[in-house]
Order: sequence, then C-alpha cells, then structure tokens
Amino acid sequence: MDHLVEQPDSHPTTLITGLRCIDFSGPLEFCYMSHSQKERKFPSSQVSLPRRPTRGPLDIGETPIPLPSPTSTGPSLPHQPSSLLSPTTSQFMTPRLASPTPGSNLSLLTSPSFRTAHSTLSTQSPSRSPSLAPSKNFSFLLRPEIYHPLTLLDVPPPFRVSALQPDPSTSLPDLVSSGNFRSAAIKAAQLLTSEDLSPSLPADIATIFELIYTRLSCLTLCGQTALAAQEVKALEDLNSSYYRDEEGRHLVPWELRVLAVRLQGMGFNDARRGVMGYYELAREARLTLTSLKKSRSSMSTPGETNEALENEIEFWSTRLQELGIRVASALVEMEDLEGAARFLSTLSPPSDNSASASTLATQKALLFLCLGDVEAARSAISISAGEESEKKVILALAHMADSDFSSAVEIWEDLISSSFSPSELPMYRQNLGVCFLYLGRMEEARDILEALVEEGSSFHALTFNLSTIYELCTERSRALKIGLAEKIAGMGSKGEKANGDFKL
Amino acid sequence: MAHQRTSSTVDSVKEPHSVSLKVLRLSRPSLSVQHPLPLPTPSPSPTNSPAPSASLAYPSTKNDAFILSPLLTLPPAFGSAYVGETFSCTLCANNEVLLGSNPSKVISNVRIEAEMKIPSSGIPLPLRLGPENPSDADEEKEEGKVVGKEGVDLEPGKSLQKVVNFDLKEEGSHVLAVTVTYSETTPTSGRIRTFRKLYQFVCKGCMVVRTKTGLLPSSGEKSRKWALEAQLENTGEETISLDMVVLETKDGFRSQGINWEILSEGEKMEKPVLMPGDVQQVCFLVEEVPDAEGKGPEPTAEGKLIFGILSLAWRGTMGNRGFLSTGALGARLK
Repeated sequence: MDHLVEQPDSHPTTLITGLRCIDFSGPLEFCYMSHSQKERKFPSSQVSLPRRPTRGPLDIGETPIPLPSPTSTGPSLPHQPSSLLSPTTSQFMTPRLASPTPGSNLSLLTSPSFRTAHSTLSTQSPSRSPSLAPSKNFSFLLRPEIYHPLTLLDVPPPFRVSALQPDPSTSLPDLVSSGNFRSAAIKAAQLLTSEDLSPSLPADIATIFELIYTRLSCLTLCGQTALAAQEVKALEDLNSSYYRDEEGRHLVPWELRVLAVRLQGMGFNDARRGVMGYYELAREARLTLTSLKKSRSSMSTPGETNEALENEIEFWSTRLQELGIRVASALVEMEDLEGAARFLSTLSPPSDNSASASTLATQKALLFLCLGDVEAARSAISISAGEESEKKVILALAHMADSDFSSAVEIWEDLISSSFSPSELPMYRQNLGVCFLYLGRMEEARDILEALVEEGSSFHALTFNLSTIYELCTERSRALKIGLAEKIAGMGSKGEKANGDFKL
Repeated sequence: MAHQRTSSTVDSVKEPHSVSLKVLRLSRPSLSVQHPLPLPTPSPSPTNSPAPSASLAYPSTKNDAFILSPLLTLPPAFGSAYVGETFSCTLCANNEVLLGSNPSKVISNVRIEAEMKIPSSGIPLPLRLGPENPSDADEEKEEGKVVGKEGVDLEPGKSLQKVVNFDLKEEGSHVLAVTVTYSETTPTSGRIRTFRKLYQFVCKGCMVVRTKTGLLPSSGEKSRKWALEAQLENTGEETISLDMVVLETKDGFRSQGINWEILSEGEKMEKPVLMPGDVQQVCFLVEEVPDAEGKGPEPTAEGKLIFGILSLAWRGTMGNRGFLSTGALGARLK
C-alpha cells in the first residue's frame, strides 16, 4: 500500500525463469529506484482489487424522479411521498417482489395515520427509542421492493421438508433464537412491509431499524449475503444527519451501523468503502470515549466512581477495539494481507487486559500463517503472556504449515485430552481429523469427523471436510453426502445449511 | 486445474472395476473465514439478534470479531501449481463392492503405483508412496493386512490411502499416472485386474528473477568487487513471503547480502511480502578472494567470471514452501 511506484515498462534485463538461466551481463541500463528497495510493478490495488466504479447514493439520481435521500433532506423538509415510489429497479439485478398496485402502496407509505396496530416488537428499552422530531420519516425503508424473495434452491433437499419448516405464526424472536434464520429473514421483511409500522413514530422507527438489523443479519447467516448487500443500499448514507435526532444522537443502533459498513461496501462494489466506514465509526467512538472520560474526571471525587459511567466507558472502548479488528478483517477480505498485518501491528491491547492481549496475539499469528510467515506467527505468540491453549493452537497450526503433521497431531491430541473449554473442543478434534488425512490416515479422520456430527456439531468446515473425505473414499459419495445432510437435518440443529456445505 | 484423461484400456475386460481410484491434491489446509456479526450491547430482550456463535466458523464462546479462525478447511479446488513448490497428492483405492452383492467378490492384494511425466523427459519418474510405515499398525491390520509391496486386502467399503510428494522443477504440462492393481476373487474364479488413470496439470512459474552485475570502483585494494543486483517478481496468483535469498558463491569469491536481514538497532526483521505482480529488489556485494598463490578465479572460455548461483526460498499461503536456484551468475570481463 505504501509503495506505488510505477516501473518503466521495458526493462533491458536478464531473464531467468524457473531453473533456466539466460544470463548476459552486457551494458545494462537499469533504472533502479534508489530511495526504495521495493517496487510494485503494478499498484497492488490493481492486482488484487481492480478499482471498480464507485456507486453510491448519487446513482439514485438516474431514476426519472429524483429520490429524496437522507443526505439531501433536512429534518425540516417534509418528504414527498410520491417520489419515494420512483422505480429503482434498474439498479438491481436480483429478482424482486412484485410491486403492489400504486394505490395501495401510496396509502401505505403516505399516511402516518394509517397505522392500525402497534407491532408486538415495539416493546423497547427506553434508551432505544429516543425522542424524535415528528418530521422524520423513514417510509423509504419500508418499500416492499427493497426486500427480495428467498428461494429454496440453495437449500439441500433434506432441509426442505415441510416438517422442518417452522410454523408461520412463530414469533420473530423465536425464529431467531431457534436458528431458523431463513424464516426469520422472511418474517422480518414481512413485518417491515406490513401496514403496522408508522415510519415517523419514534417507537416504530426504533422497531424499523431493529427489524432491518434482523433481516440483514439473518440473510448473512443463511448464505444470502449478496442479497443483504443489495438490500442494505436502501439505508444510503448512515452518517447523514437525517439519521440523528435533535440532540445529535444516532437513531440507528450501533450494531446495524457496523453491519451496514461491510454490506454497503459489497453492495456498492467498493471494498475500500468498508474500511472508510469503520474509520468513521471509530472516530465517533473515540470522540464519545473522550467526552465520557472527560465527564468522569470532572465529576468524580477521589474514591468515588460512577458505575453507569464506567460501564459506558467500558463498552465504548470495546466497540473501538472491535472496529480495529474489523478494519484488519476488511483488509484481509480485500486480499491485502500485508496491509492487514501492518495494520494489526499498530493495534495495542488495553494494558490492563491480558485476555485481549492474548486474543490480539492469536489474531496476528493467524494472519502471519495466512501470509506464510510461520516464524513471525511463532514469535507473535511467544511475546504475549497469553492463554496456554491458544498458544498451543498456533503451534499446532505452525507445525502443519511446516508440513510436520505428526508433531501437530501430538499437540491436537494433547489439547483434546487437557481441554478446559468445551466450546473449543470441536475445533481441536476437527483439526486433528484434517491432520490425519495428510498423514494417510483417512479412516481415522473419517471416524473423528463422523463422531463430531453424531455429537451434534454441524459447522461448515466439518460438513465440508467430511464430504471431501466421502468423495475420496468412494465413487458413490453422493449417497453418503445426502445421508450426512439427512442426519444433520434430522438432528434439528441450529443454523441454516446450503448445498455447498455438503458439496452437493 | 488438473483434468483427468480417459483411463487407458490397459484392462480389456469391459466389466466395471470393483476398485475405484480417487485423488485429492493436498495443498495446505486453509484457515476458515468467518464474518462475525456485530451484536447489540447491552443485549435487549426479547432479542431479535442471532446468537453470538451463529456467525462464527465454529460455535466458540470466544468473543472474536476477526475474519480468520483457527479451524481448518481442506483444499476446495486444485488451485495452481508452481515451479519450486512441492506437489502433494493423496491417492485412494476404494473397494466398491457392495455388501451382499452376487456373486460375492473378494478384493485382495490392492496395490497403487504412481509416476510423474514431466515436460523435459519422455520417461516418467516413479514416485515414492507414503506413508511407508503406518503409524498404527495394529489398527491397520483390522482393515487389511499390510504386507509391504505385496498389496493390501480390502473389505467392502474400505480404502487404501497413499500420499505422494513431488518437487515441481519445470514449467509446463505434467501428468500424474496412477496404476491400481488388485485381485478379484469370486467363489468360482479369480483374476488379477489393473487399471490406470492419468491426471494432467500445468505447472507455472511463480518467481521470475532478473539480474545484473556491475564492477564497483576499486578502492586501491587488490581484489575486485562487484555488485550483483536482482529483481524478484511474483508472477503467480498468490501472496508469498520471501524466506531467504542467498548468493551461493564458488571458491574464489565471497558475497554479502545487503538486504532486509541488515537491521539497525531495535528494528525487527520483516520478511518481504510479495503480492501478485510485486517486485522485490535484492543486492549482493561480491568480492574476489585470491587463493594461497595470490591468483584470482579464472574466467570461462567465453570470458566470463562465474560467481555462483542465487538460491531463493519463499512461503505461500499457510506456509506452503517454494525453493528455486538460478543458473550460474557472473560478470563478463571486458
């Protein structure tokens, strides 16, 4: 990211490819950059991430009638409801819900008084429903055409049976907590487009954002991130002042703002937008934290602490740290591993928290392994005074990176026999199974993975790896893979499954 | 992408084989990627947000917002094969006889042989099959007796798994040829059957090295000095980190790298990371070392002084190793 020096196109240099050497040491004119040892033939971004046209809220201007965007509409300007119905279909390549007839749509969207009943979901904690100027209107988030229908095409046959589908009357919290994310996403869209919500009533506005969060998060959990990335565009610029109340408080819950950053980056086809979005949120978190700390130092007398304020400071600093990790993740997702490693090295854990220091060291080590710098991964964990089991995980992975699978097996087995954290055990065992396959011990690998499934695990890597082993051990692997899907469907495990999970 | 050629008709019998062969390239397993959802704090009730573990690679209770998790995933595809890397592949011979099939067939003495056909030679190279000593010999016996080269007896549904490793040294088309031989015995007859499958893949160069040498102005000393510069370009599709670049000199020369291993105090060594298309420049000082009689190294018939060769080692994703040496490098004498 730092050296973007264009190199001259033609280099009169000697070329050695592979093992052949066509060396001639004639009078070579070499244009070396004296100030920099390292040159990029192409700017890195062009290689790993071709610059794509940036699309943003302004694109909506393509539509015949301009759509009032939150950026352009101040709180005092009343919305023009008719323009909210301007078709934006051209932007979307995905199948849409058929738009209702204009008449019914208008009545739904224009009259705040149309609201007939409160949603049961609007039972909010007071902090989540800030007071609002009556002029705020979020009806542009309730247009039915925003929300795409979901098909069952990608769902493996054993999971499609109607006995496994939840009752349509199941409440949204129940659907979410039981892991029926597909149904929850559909339900959330139904509630958003139902006529029960008033787009300008403060309590309902909080509900709207909560439903959008549920809709988008559940879409990502049932393998429909691409759809979520389209639907999130409707929120447009969440940093606009339209999303704040008169006291400057943001109306959108923090988690939705964070979620929208990555999804909008995908939706507008610009991953960098994601990184920038996190930085903007981090700026806000830092400012909030500063003012909170200021009020702490101004009000508290020595020996006396304000618990609520301390908690507030605590979770804002957690938010700030998490944003740092999300920036690194966004860089990894852009395939800029080097940039991610540099960025992570600038992060420092809070001095008083050894657990998060250990977590950060593990994250650095994982990134170094991904980069191929195994030594750096080892030294990353040797510095921290972290948790012993986390270090062992990195050591085992480093052995595997060094092709020393037998040593890795020993560590995984040691971790399994001495584990104090039951939630990490499936990971240890799964990785041990993978190790066995590389050692030519497929039978044992299969036994371990099958045992994990029997015990109720069904995460993607497990089913994917087991399906890979099935493909290796017979020509009739499809039957085994369907059998695996049936078994997991029959166990009623939480979460949604896609065909890719079983290589179907 | 490797593609499988139609199996040659070594076996003239049209009857389908009772043993199948399945192949998987064992590139390094990858770290599972996760996209942890930001969750409401403090969590409201009744909650409309998914459980924290729902968006993690595995249901961990750790609060981790990072994209990489330590959970390993087997290679999903063949990927690219590069000169300098070790090609690993697992071969599985599977007894496909269904239990209770009629006539009942017994499969014994299953053997796998593998060879690699490389671009520069018409004669395929035989490959060593691992693991040679199954670490759990006892368990192995339950599935079938291990009788060295004699082959393995396979129960229905059981497999014989082997792993081959091959150092890729040439660009171009490689063919992995696998031959499976086994005995098929029915109550009335017995015969030895064999089949052969070919897997073709293309090996590409991932590192291009350009060099140039220049005579350094002498500082009044007797021995001559040169600077050997090299540009290393990552022409592959993966990010790699350079592990080592060494100029291995012949007798009569000594060299000193003036690259990233030279650190000022308090600096930590950072290995250069090359993304696809990146170029890293390295430089070595080469010095003539006269022998006991005070004579310097002799030039070749073409009037060229040969310093030695450049060796480079790198690591790809998840530590995948690559190693390459150039041909002889030197300076032309005026």
